[in-house]
Amino acid sequence: MDFSFTDEQKMFRDTVYRYAKEEIAPLSEEADLKSEFSFEIWEKLGAMGLLGLPIPEEYGGQGADIVTCCLAGEALGHAGVDSGMTMSLGAHIYLCAMNIYYNGTEEQKKKYLPDLASGRWIGCMGLTEPEAGSDAAAIRTTAVKRGDKYILNGSKTFITNAPVSDVMVVYANLSKARKREGITAFILEKGQRGLSTGKPFHKMGHRASCTSEIFMEDVEVSKENCLGGEGNGWRMALESVEWDRSTLASPGIGSLLYSLELCAKHANTRIAFNRPIKEFQAIQHKIADIKICLEVCKLAVYRVAASKDNGIRLNPLQAAVTKLYMGDVGFERASDAVQIFGGYGLMHEYPVERYLRDAKLVSIGGGSSEVMKLILSRMLLNQ
Amino acid sequence: MDYEFTEKQKRLRRAIEQFSDSEIASKASILDQYEKGTVGELMKERFIKLAQAGYLSIGHDISYGGTDLDLVSQCIVYEAIAKACASTALSVFASVGLVGSSLKLFGTDVQKEQFLPGLLNGSLIGCFGYSENDAGSDILNIGTTARKVRDKWVINGIKDLVTNAPIADLFIVLSLNGKGSGPGEETKAMTFFILPKGTDGLRVEDSIDTLGFRGSPLGKVHLENCEVEESFILGKGEERGLDQVTRILDFAMIMMSSLCVGISMGCLEEAVIRAKTRKAFGNTIGSYQEVGFKLADMFTYSDLGRLLTQRAAVAMESNEKEARMLASCAKVFTSEGATKIASWALQIFGGHGYIKGESVERFYRDAKLGEIAFGTPEVLRTSIIAKDILDRFSN
Repeated sequence: MDFSFTDEQKMFRDTVYRYAKEEIAPLSEEADLKSEFSFEIWEKLGAMGLLGLPIPEEYGGQGADIVTCCLAGEALGHAGVDSGMTMSLGAHIYLCAMNIYYNGTEEQKKKYLPDLASGRWIGCMGLTEPEAGSDAAAIRTTAVKRGDKYILNGSKTFITNAPVSDVMVVYANLSKARKREGITAFILEKGQRGLSTGKPFHKMGHRASCTSEIFMEDVEVSKENCLGGEGNGWRMALESVEWDRSTLASPGIGSLLYSLELCAKHANTRIAFNRPIKEFQAIQHKIADIKICLEVCKLAVYRVAASKDNGIRLNPLQAAVTKLYMGDVGFERASDAVQIFGGYGLMHEYPVERYLRDAKLVSIGGGSSEVMKLILSRMLLNQ
Repeated sequence: MDYEFTEKQKRLRRAIEQFSDSEIASKASILDQYEKGTVGELMKERFIKLAQAGYLSIGHDISYGGTDLDLVSQCIVYEAIAKACASTALSVFASVGLVGSSLKLFGTDVQKEQFLPGLLNGSLIGCFGYSENDAGSDILNIGTTARKVRDKWVINGIKDLVTNAPIADLFIVLSLNGKGSGPGEETKAMTFFILPKGTDGLRVEDSIDTLGFRGSPLGKVHLENCEVEESFILGKGEERGLDQVTRILDFAMIMMSSLCVGISMGCLEEAVIRAKTRKAFGNTIGSYQEVGFKLADMFTYSDLGRLLTQRAAVAMESNEKEARMLASCAKVFTSEGATKIASWALQIFGGHGYIKGESVERFYRDAKLGEIAFGTPEVLRTSIIAKDILDRFSN
């Protein structure tokens, strides 16, 4: 059993951290305040190769292992980079680009991966619909085969990056009768006739990430842009959400660490009743709880990452455990962080305020906590 | 980076789980019934049984009859035994874990040769006397003293809540030695003594009945003018009792965490079976989210608790700076986890879980000790975990 990072991995994390702290984090407060996708931040992420980290070098990426990718995410979070931007990065790499990498033909990989890896193109993934969230298999977007084309009709909602995307991996059903066996993935390109996105939603958190609907009205997709083969979509979607429940969560580890540091510094300096508030056990208790949560989340996320690197691509149970804990307990700890700051914790200039708003997403997006419990309880009861 | 067990560890896990299931679990209920006269005899028999199967000697040098297993492997063993019978796990740990490790880490070669083989083959049972009536979390407040009189040491005091005391052959006791006099002198002020049963002045008061872990004999140890040789001091007279007890307690935190995970797993397994078989309103109760979702939570806390404990074990073995911090995190997480999990399990059994003899009823009572023995969450959160972080980020 080996929990250690290699020297190379540690060095890389430090490099990302220092770069992010200096170049990117200072832009976060404004990005969240404006609720706008920051192309400036995106370019800076791209300049460091962070937008194509796990993509193999032959396709323009850095060829990094998943543990390293998580370290980069953690470093960004730790540096105080806005969670919206790290989520955009996550959706772009893991939900879109890696989907193409794992399931695409050689032509598709050569066509899309290099520009996705550099960040010149922004990617997104569309599964969720207004009437199909947790019950993802019930999606209503249809794909009708006509000759050597597919005609797509339907809409998606809550899609991270949609308004700024150049490349979209979208799931549609080829045959309602076949239910989830009919679900198929397609690669769409911005500008295609009939394809449009809605106005970005104004969200509680992750505000710098732009999220909107995708509308498809008789969108024509050539057969070259069917991804992974007809009827394979459900399997691909399940793998995709596993990234949501592990590697995409890595910036959250960094946020917890950053919060912990902020809280500790605050507790050391803030005076109440003639002493720094760190001397009160009620404050010590919360700080300890944040630390415990941090250590558990680190282990949970890197366990999945290490497993993927060691050849086990799918880890549904461990991913479910990670998502459930990070989502529910992470939110409680984010609330504890605000509490430590008191009134200041409610003010926008204080990062812990933003983190509480951001933390709520984790128990909802990428599979709600309730769905995680469904997965786990079914596993236990079917043993 | 690899979070998987090695092949050797996997084999060990299968073996100890099978053994615990067939040989240890069956006596758990009887031990829990705490017949004052017989519980000690039953527990001694447990020691022999484990020794014969090779599980008593884990974590010790082969030259003393030990089986040299890494800390993660020791965690595997304690978790499995605790799942079957928490009382057995605790008594075994008190003997080979606390007393045995004290000898291993700090004893002279003579002391190791004299006592380790017996402890590891079950012919000797050890107990570790450190806390007292007025000194639990506040260990510095112990009142047991050892005075040097000519060339002997005279020990006086009372050790309380000592696991195994009623059946012990060997007593390790923590005492003030009168050397410390001011701040910073604490590390010099305590000494561990090794006292065999029968030492003049050493007396065990009757077994104490408790809420849980009832099968683990518990007693008060009276030391009334016990006169002992210099050679009875643990180690080479370095008298670093406080350092020693802290190190032993670090180890104890990790093993107690494993016990908590074991209790948690016992609860989970029972609850799953119940959820699959018990029907209400025409369906098995597992199909209702109020039950099914509790199972999911129980799994999550057990799984993550084990992971955190393993992390602490590896950190301790590699002497990482964060080892004590991680051990403390594991202890808080797994012990509070076990209490929650046992409560959910009992709830899933409903009225039947409330009856004596039902495993979950025993788990519920056993679980609570996890939050008390070897470091309470109150102390660990404030004095270790938060303190470390606050110190690191002070100005």
